[in-house]
Amino acid sequence: MIADRSVALIRHNFAVMAAEPGPIVSRIVMPLVLITLTRPLYAAAFGSAAGSAQAVSGMLVMFSLMAMSVVGLSILTERLWHTADRLRAAPISPLEMFAGKATPILAVLVTQQIVVLAYGRVAFGLRYTSPVLLGGTVLIWGVMLLAVGTAVGTMARSGGALSAMVDIGSLSITGLGGAFVPLALLPGWARALAPASPGYWAMRAMNGALTGAAGPTLQAWLVIAAVAVLATLIAGVRLRHGWGRQAV
Amino acid sequence: MLAARDLTKHYGAVRALDGFTLDVAAGEVVGLIGHNGAGKTTFAEVVTGLIRPDRGSVTVGGIDVTRRPRVARAQIGYAPQEFGLYPAVTVRQNLTLFGRLYGLRRRALAAAIDEAAIDLMLDDVLDRPVGVLSGGQKRRAQAATALLHRPALLLLDEPTAGADPVTRSALLAAVRTRAAAGAAVVYTTHYLPELDELDATIAVAAGGRVIARGDRASLLSGLPSRATVGYPDGTSTRLSGADPIAALVDVLMSGPAPSAIDLHRPSLDDLYLTLAGAGHDR
Repeated sequence: MIADRSVALIRHNFAVMAAEPGPIVSRIVMPLVLITLTRPLYAAAFGSAAGSAQAVSGMLVMFSLMAMSVVGLSILTERLWHTADRLRAAPISPLEMFAGKATPILAVLVTQQIVVLAYGRVAFGLRYTSPVLLGGTVLIWGVMLLAVGTAVGTMARSGGALSAMVDIGSLSITGLGGAFVPLALLPGWARALAPASPGYWAMRAMNGALTGAAGPTLQAWLVIAAVAVLATLIAGVRLRHGWGRQAV
Repeated sequence: MLAARDLTKHYGAVRALDGFTLDVAAGEVVGLIGHNGAGKTTFAEVVTGLIRPDRGSVTVGGIDVTRRPRVARAQIGYAPQEFGLYPAVTVRQNLTLFGRLYGLRRRALAAAIDEAAIDLMLDDVLDRPVGVLSGGQKRRAQAATALLHRPALLLLDEPTAGADPVTRSALLAAVRTRAAAGAAVVYTTHYLPELDELDATIAVAAGGRVIARGDRASLLSGLPSRATVGYPDGTSTRLSGADPIAALVDVLMSGPAPSAIDLHRPSLDDLYLTLAGAGHDR
């Protein structure tokens, strides 16, 4: 019965996404377009293989961060549509509700990354030395995006506020992390600030996974996981107290 | 079926519930009436476990709502005042979700959806997105999500607010059917004639508590009737009190012949204005 209720919510949330697929489609297609357009630039600066790696991993980080709008919107709309209270009034546990809500979103986040990485392989012959490290990076980065996106969704008061938070936040994290402009070309102050950006650790994990360097990848995973835990705590506090009610 | 005892809930300095006590038996429809802010919606939210009371207890079918919330919620069908449906997906998809959350599966779920669709005249719009429905259709769809699993307790918070006569008629018929089948119903409304149609007993809420409770006749018996006697010269005499009929007879026997007599029996509106108004002033 527990699995049944979560499965019911998972199917329902996939149906809701399928009914309005625009935001998800754009988050998947846009990085492919920009990879295609920017790769020659990166290749000219760093060589073919390194340029392809920068284009693919950089755009993956940037647009996966922007996909937090999909996460945040799915949380925010539950409140705007007053369906959050309907779910909470149903005989479903918080864990079942979390599983039912998080699974489809995580699937979207992971799918987006897989599509981008597959495009890099097919279009530019990018080689992934360690599929295990790459798979782990995709998963843990997806979990962090889910957690941060949820926290943002619980803090935004409207769709406009959510867009602003995600756009500004994701571009800042992308820029500081060296995902758009490679770290070596950033100004000194930005390079000094870079480790404060989760994007920096995502790029580090991606590059480590591409080259098979386990040490830097695992170190990056730890930082990304810590950000995910922090965001989960924030989201938890907001869900418990920030929506104006005290759950039983 | 529902036993709420001495419920108290504060929001800062605001006392939303102040010793709210209400019992509802299986098969009984209780019309819960009162001003906005009287505590009706807060009460419904406590019963469904959406908010925790500061004090007091609620049991549904003998199950404590705060101690075993999921078991208690499984017995409740709740239609809140505000629309709480997914507009992007169809009525059927909404009903399927809520049916599954309440334990309905496959054939039982399909049969429950069909039944609710017929009862609430939704069969023509089952496969339309909720977002394109009219207000009345949304009201009926929302009520259907509450009725679907045949709950032992139905909590309907202003289910006909802004609804057209067709929607109102369908909803009232569905509520009557479910009550006849044994469901306890708490029906919050500002449209008091609906309570007559439901043959409901009455609970008047004011200041976060129930200040009057009983059947319609007993509650109205304490209210004065009124009679107005008009005369051909344009003057009129207003008679009121415990027995205005006797006063009217006296006037007819002793005075000039009237041109018009208007006899006003106390209604639920009078009860509402008298009791809830008094509570509102407190």
